[in-house]
Amino acid sequence: MPETSIPPPPTASPVARPVSEALLNEKWDRCISNLLIKSSLGLGFGVVFSVLLFKRRAWPAFVGVGFGAGRAYEECNYSLKQAAKDIKKQA
Amino acid sequence: MLRTSLRSVRALGSRPVATAAGRQWQAAVVTRRVAVLGQRSYADDKKPVAISDKAKPAALPASETLTAPSTPPPPPPQDATVIDSTIPPEQAPLTPPAPGTPTPPPTAPKTTLPPPPPPPVQPRKKGFFRRLRNYVLTLSLLGALAFGGGVWYSRVNDNFHDFFTEYVPFGEQAVLYLEEMDFRKRFPNVANRVTGRQPASDAQVKIPAQSGASWRVADSGEPASRQSSAVRKAATATKDAAKDAAGAAEAAVKPKDEPASVVGAKKETAALPKVEGKEPAQTADPQKPVPVPAAASDAPSNPGPAAALSAAAAEPANPGEKPFKAPEVDEPSRWPPASPIDPLAVNDAAEPVVQDLVRMLNDIITVVNADGANEKYGATIGKAKNELNKVGQKIKDMKKAVEEDAAKQVRARVDDFDKAANDLVSKVESAMAHQEAQWRHEFEEEMKRMQHGYDEKVKLIQERERQLNEEKCNNRLLEQAIEMQRQFAQEVKKRVEEERDARLGKLNELSSAVSELEKLTTGWNDVVDTNLRTQQLHVAVDAVRASLEDSQHPRPFIKELVALKEIASDDPVVDAAIASINPSAYQRGISTPAELIDRFRRVATEVRKASLLPEDAGVASHASSYVLSKLLFKKQGLAAGDDVESILTRTQTYLEEGDLDNAAREMNGLSGWAKTLARDWLDEVRKVLEVQQALDVIQTEARLQSLRVE
Repeated sequence: MPETSIPPPPTASPVARPVSEALLNEKWDRCISNLLIKSSLGLGFGVVFSVLLFKRRAWPAFVGVGFGAGRAYEECNYSLKQAAKDIKKQA
Repeated sequence: MLRTSLRSVRALGSRPVATAAGRQWQAAVVTRRVAVLGQRSYADDKKPVAISDKAKPAALPASETLTAPSTPPPPPPQDATVIDSTIPPEQAPLTPPAPGTPTPPPTAPKTTLPPPPPPPVQPRKKGFFRRLRNYVLTLSLLGALAFGGGVWYSRVNDNFHDFFTEYVPFGEQAVLYLEEMDFRKRFPNVANRVTGRQPASDAQVKIPAQSGASWRVADSGEPASRQSSAVRKAATATKDAAKDAAGAAEAAVKPKDEPASVVGAKKETAALPKVEGKEPAQTADPQKPVPVPAAASDAPSNPGPAAALSAAAAEPANPGEKPFKAPEVDEPSRWPPASPIDPLAVNDAAEPVVQDLVRMLNDIITVVNADGANEKYGATIGKAKNELNKVGQKIKDMKKAVEEDAAKQVRARVDDFDKAANDLVSKVESAMAHQEAQWRHEFEEEMKRMQHGYDEKVKLIQERERQLNEEKCNNRLLEQAIEMQRQFAQEVKKRVEEERDARLGKLNELSSAVSELEKLTTGWNDVVDTNLRTQQLHVAVDAVRASLEDSQHPRPFIKELVALKEIASDDPVVDAAIASINPSAYQRGISTPAELIDRFRRVATEVRKASLLPEDAGVASHASSYVLSKLLFKKQGLAAGDDVESILTRTQTYLEEGDLDNAAREMNGLSGWAKTLARDWLDEVRKVLEVQQALDVIQTEARLQSLRVE
């Protein structure tokens, strides 16, 4: 009996929803991945532009990275503030 | 200086008294005028040059005459001063201050100017005219004042009002007008209506020319009285509308001294000439229409039918009169003696024959009257009247004679009848007495027979009753015997039963004792049962506890709980305790204290990371909090303070001591992100606490039950 009853709870709980103490970590994960993706995208665009239009100058690539990172930062900021608002509402 | 003051005084004095009184009430005005006059002295002085040239001075010195004796004559120096001063001519017209009375002021200033040249010549004339005018003015003014005062006082005093309106010309109009004005002012709405109606009513009040007393009425007394009576009746008819036309006509005719029987005849005769009389009525239109409308107008409140009634009442009376009146109105002086022949009035007209005759004669009279041949046939008709009267008398005499004869005969007959009746009565009485004696005899015999029969019957009845009584007595005796026997049997039965009851009662006591013993044993059975049950409850609770404490991992304990519930068997306390446990707790099981501590460590690190977050934190603040939290010192034991770090350390120490309750309380004191992160752990701890509490309650309940049994 005990053996049969053990498995379901551990399997069930992680699937249902993240544990409360992991909420912030998850948000950080998402933010960092977002940052990586967007900045690399910006870098790509910047490189392409620099090759095609700007005679291989370096600055368009930096600008692209900056745009991507900035956008990711803003999104992360927004999601965190939204979460803070929800917490306040719950309280 | 002296002159100016004098002149100013003069100017004031020269002004007519009335105007002065009227205008110069206010002292301010007077003072202003004085000031103006003071200025004027120069202008006056200059003027003589300008105005005297225009040859006006002749009329002006009037005022000067009043004050002339006192005024000195210094013309030459004045002229010189005037020239020197050269005052503009505009000042001259301004100076006259009198606002309402222009006539005297111009004279006054001018008067002052001319005095030098013609003072002695004109003063006499001017004085006369002026005095006359002043006199007239003052008189008229006083009169107006007096009139006005009278009007006003007449509104105050009633006696004076009467006097004033009666004796003072135009006084009444003035007072009335004033009153009307006052009334209108008070009731603007009503005044219009009233004034609008009054003229109409005035127009209605006109009196027709032919109404009222006239010479005609005095001349012919009878017709006039008749008509007037008819009219009066018409007026009364309005009050009691029950009277019909005939009644009214009768009433109209009655005033004349005619017997009632003749009145009927007169009516018929009057009805006949009505047809013929229409023509004379039309010919004599000028008189006829007048009285009827007059009568109608005299009683204006008459309704339609009443008016018709009056007309109907007047008409039968009129046809007789018209012939009389017609000549009178046309030529009153020519035929004064032409009085119409009176309709016949018979004293003894009870006979129908006489009535017929009278009617015929009256017809003839009316015809004659209608023709206007009164004079021709007057004598013959008079004779006929006499003859008629005689005929009436004769018929009366004859009647009297016949009645006397008849009375005599009747008396003789009555005597005969009385005699015969007396004989008959005596005979009948003797027969009655005989018969009565016979009947009495028969009656007595019959009575005797009947008495005999009744006596026999009474004897029979008595015998039968005696027999009946004897039988009844026998029956009663029998009944008594039977009752005695029954009582004896009952007594015997009672004795037997008493004996039996004594023994049966002992048996009952025995059986009740046995049953009590049974009850006792069953009670002990209950005690044993409850003991068992409480023991089972204890065991079940222990089982639950063991299953919770033994397990290394959380596992469900539904079965244990179900067993516990069944053993408790509807114990409300146990039921409530089980119901208070969160279903997820016994479905998934609860974590052990070790697990809780382990998880708390993980939670604590996360919470510490978020411990420095401000409100509304963004990415930067999160990152800084993450970095800075690593630099914080760790506390130990029961640290004081409300910050996240001290709360966490306190919780940890409680957990290490095994005090889950206090640990949960501490964590509940967190807020914001920290609390959100610790939420799951808190839920977990709460579940564990709930289960523990419920188990404690159930255990105490089981202990209580086991105590209760003892």
